[in-house]
Amino acid sequence: MGKKRIWSFLLLMLVALSVVLAACNSSESGTEKENEGTKDNGSTSTGDKVLVFGRGGDSTSLDPSTVTEGESFKVTKNIYETLLNFGEQDTTIHEGLATKWEPSEDGLTYTFTLREGVKFHDGTDFNAEAVVKNFERWANGSEDKFPYYKSMFGGFKGEEGHVIESVTAEGDYTVVFKLTRAQAPFLKNIAMSPFAIASPTAFEKDGEKFGDNPVGTGPFKFVEWKRNDSITIEKFDGYWDEALPKLDKVIFRSIPDNSARLNDLLNGAIDLADGINPADGTTVEGDSSLQLFERPSMNVGYLGLTTTRPPFDNVKVRQALNYAIDKEAIVEAFFEGRAEIAKNPLPSSISGFNDDITGYEYNPEKAKELLAEAGFADGFEMELWAMPVPRPYMPDGKKVAEAIQKNLEDIGVKAEIVSYEWATYLDKASKGEADAFLLGWTGDNGDADNFIYVLLDGDNIGSNNYTYYDNKDLHKILIEAQTEVDEDKRNELYKQAQEIIFEDAPWVPLAHSTPLLAGKADIVDFYPHPTGSDLLSQVDFK
Amino acid sequence: MTQMVPNSTNEIMAKKDTSTGPWRDAWRSFSKNKVALVGAGIVLFFILLAIFGPFLAPQGINEQAIKDHRLLPPSSQFWFGTDDLGRDIFSRVIHGARISLGVGFFSVVGSVVVGSILGIVAGYYGKWIDTIISRIFDIMLAFPSILLAIAVVSVLGPSLRNALIAIAIINIPNFGRLIRSKVLSIKEEEYITSAKAIGMKDLRILFSHILPNSLAPVIVAGTLAIASAIIEAAALGFLGLGAQAPAPEWGKMLADARVVLRNAPWTMVFPGIAIMLTVLGFNLMGDGLRDALDPRMKN
Repeated sequence: MGKKRIWSFLLLMLVALSVVLAACNSSESGTEKENEGTKDNGSTSTGDKVLVFGRGGDSTSLDPSTVTEGESFKVTKNIYETLLNFGEQDTTIHEGLATKWEPSEDGLTYTFTLREGVKFHDGTDFNAEAVVKNFERWANGSEDKFPYYKSMFGGFKGEEGHVIESVTAEGDYTVVFKLTRAQAPFLKNIAMSPFAIASPTAFEKDGEKFGDNPVGTGPFKFVEWKRNDSITIEKFDGYWDEALPKLDKVIFRSIPDNSARLNDLLNGAIDLADGINPADGTTVEGDSSLQLFERPSMNVGYLGLTTTRPPFDNVKVRQALNYAIDKEAIVEAFFEGRAEIAKNPLPSSISGFNDDITGYEYNPEKAKELLAEAGFADGFEMELWAMPVPRPYMPDGKKVAEAIQKNLEDIGVKAEIVSYEWATYLDKASKGEADAFLLGWTGDNGDADNFIYVLLDGDNIGSNNYTYYDNKDLHKILIEAQTEVDEDKRNELYKQAQEIIFEDAPWVPLAHSTPLLAGKADIVDFYPHPTGSDLLSQVDFK
Repeated sequence: MTQMVPNSTNEIMAKKDTSTGPWRDAWRSFSKNKVALVGAGIVLFFILLAIFGPFLAPQGINEQAIKDHRLLPPSSQFWFGTDDLGRDIFSRVIHGARISLGVGFFSVVGSVVVGSILGIVAGYYGKWIDTIISRIFDIMLAFPSILLAIAVVSVLGPSLRNALIAIAIINIPNFGRLIRSKVLSIKEEEYITSAKAIGMKDLRILFSHILPNSLAPVIVAGTLAIASAIIEAAALGFLGLGAQAPAPEWGKMLADARVVLRNAPWTMVFPGIAIMLTVLGFNLMGDGLRDALDPRMKN
C-alpha cells in the first residue's frame, strides 16, 4: 500500500511537471511572437504616424454609392472625394474635386469646373469623363444597387421622378448637369459621401467586387480589410495637395461595446474613439492624457409609432404617448444633459426648423384623457422595441426604453420591452412589425429634406419611413419644397410640414444629442463633422 | 462539579439519540462543521429574504425618480444607493432574492426530477435504453453549459421562465448520470435481489428501494447545482436573455450598471455581493452536506 502510494504520488508529480513545462514552453513562444509584433510596430511608428480609430461597427461596403449607413462613410470619406465638400464642421458648400460651380438662372443646369492634375490611386486621370462615367453607372443602376441615389435624385434613368436628365463632359475639365426639375438641395446632395467619384477603370474592371477594392482620389488609399475587425488605409503619395495627408496610416478598428472602446483608449490600444457614453464624458475630461471632442449635433432620436398597427392607427393614442413620456428626464439621465430635447423631427441647427411649435409637454393626466377619448380608458398592452446597440443619437436604447416603460405604466399602458439583433431589428421595423420602436437618424447633408422627406414621407415607406406614416398633404408640401429654389419660401414649406407632423404625431421625438468622441491629448486638428464621417487628412500628432 | 454530572448525562443521551439512524448521524456531523453552518445560515437568510422580502423592502421594484434621485451613493435614506433610473438598489436587491433563489431552486428541482427518471430507467433497465439515454447525456455534456443555455433561450425567446427551463435542461445530464451510476451499484445489492425474488414489481423496487437509497448524493449535488444555477441565471440575465426589464434580477442589474460603472460603482457592487453571498452559501452548505452524507468521507 505504502509503495503504491509513493508511486502514484511520483506519477502525479511527473504529470504536473510536464503540464507546467508545456505551459512554460507555449507561453515563451507566445511572448516571443508578441515581441516580434511590437518590434514591427515599433520600427514603423518611429518614422510613421499611425492613427488607430476605434468605432462601433464594421463597414458594409467600401463602395459608398451602394450603402446608406454611416460606418461605411467613415472610411470612404478618406478614400474618395466628392465634387463638392462640406465645411469643416458644418454643411455649407465648399470646393472639392470641382473648383467652380455655376447654376443657371432657372436652376436646371449646373456647370462644374474640375480640379486639374488629380489622379486616382490606380493612376487613372481624374477628368470630366470619369465624372460622367460615375453618374452613368448610378443612373443605370437599381434601388438594390444604389439605394441612396434613388432617395436623393428621385429614381433612375427613364423613371418619372429622376432629377438628373443628363451629365455631359465639355472638354476635359468641365461637366454639365442638366436637371428635369429644379432641386433645391442639389449641391448639398452632390457633396454627400455616397456620391464620391470612383476610378472608372477600377469599377469597370471589378464590377460587383469594387466595394472590396476601393479606388478613389482621396488622401488615403486602401490597404486591407479584415472583416469585423479592422480596415487599414495609408497615405496616398500622389495626392493633389502635396501637404496632405499628415498621417501615414489610419486603422479603423471595430469595437462594438462603448465601454470596451473607452478602455482600449485608456490603455493605449487605440488613439481615437467615437461613441463615448455620455456618462463617461466627465471621466475623459478629467483625464489629462485624453481630450474630449463634441460632434456638432445633426441628428434625432425618436420613438416611432407604427401608424398602421392598432391602436397606433388612432391619432389620439399617438398624441397621448407624446404627452406621457417625460423627455426632459430621459435627456437628463441618458444623455447626461448633452442633448437638446426634441420637439420636431428636425434639429434646431437646420434651416426650416419651426420654433413656434411648442412640442408636447410631459402631462400624464392629459395623456390619460386622450386615451379615454380614444376608447382606451383602461390602457392596453403593447410591445416597446429597444435598440440593441448604442448609436450616436441614442447611447443606451434599453435604458431609455425602461424609462418609457415606466412612463407608460403610469398612464395604464403595459409595455413589454423587446429587442433583436441590430440587423434583424431594422429589418423587422422596416416591415412595420413593431408597435413602437426606438430609432434615430443622423443627417447626411444638413438639409431639411434629408430628415423630413427621407424619414416621414409616404415615398419612403419600406426604406427609411419605419412608421408607415403617409399623409398626402405632407407629401405635396415636401415635393414642392424639393423644387422650390427660394430659400425663404422653402423654409416656410418645411415649417408647415412640421406643423402637420406635430398634429399627426407619428413619432415621439426624444432628443438631438451631441455625440462624444475621445482621443489622445496629442491629436491636433481633428474636427468632428456633424454628418458623422470625418475627413482625417488634416489630423496630426503633436 | 455538580454541574458536570447532568452535562455528561446529556452527552450520553445525545450519543444514544444520534446513533439511531444515518440521517441523524449526518446531521451530527453537519452541525459540527462550522463552515457548513455558516453556509446554511447564509442560505436561510436569503430564503427568508425571498419569502418576506416584499414586506421588508422600503420601495417597490420600479419606482423611478430620474429627476429627483438618480445615481445617489449609499446613504441613510438609500442604503445601497440608487441606480440610473433613480430606483432604490437596496429594495431591488431584496426583491431580486426571490427571483434568483426561485430560478435556482425550481430549475434544479426540474432537472432532478427529469434527470432522476432518466437515470433510474437507464441504470435499472440497461441495454439499449441505457445506451440511448447515456449517449444523449454525453452529447449534452459536450457543450459548454452556458452555450447550451443560450441556444435554448434563443429558441424559446428571452424571458425569466425560459431561462429557468434552459437551466433545468442543461443540468439534466449531471443528475441523470449521478443517479444512473448509483442505481447500477444498488441494483446488485442483495436486498434488491430478494425483492425481485419475492416477486416485487419493477416500479415498486425502483421507487421504494432504489430511489430512496440513491438520494444522498443527489441532495449534495442538488445543493451545489443551485449555486451554479443562480450564476447561470445571472449570466443569462446579464446577456439580456433572462429576466426582462423592469424585473430586479441580479445579473440584469449588473448589466445595467455597466454603463455607469465608472461613476457609480455601487450600482454593480451590491447585486454582485448578493450573487456572491448566495452562491457561497450554497457551496459551503453543499460541501458540508457532502461531508455529512457521503460514507466515504467519514474518518
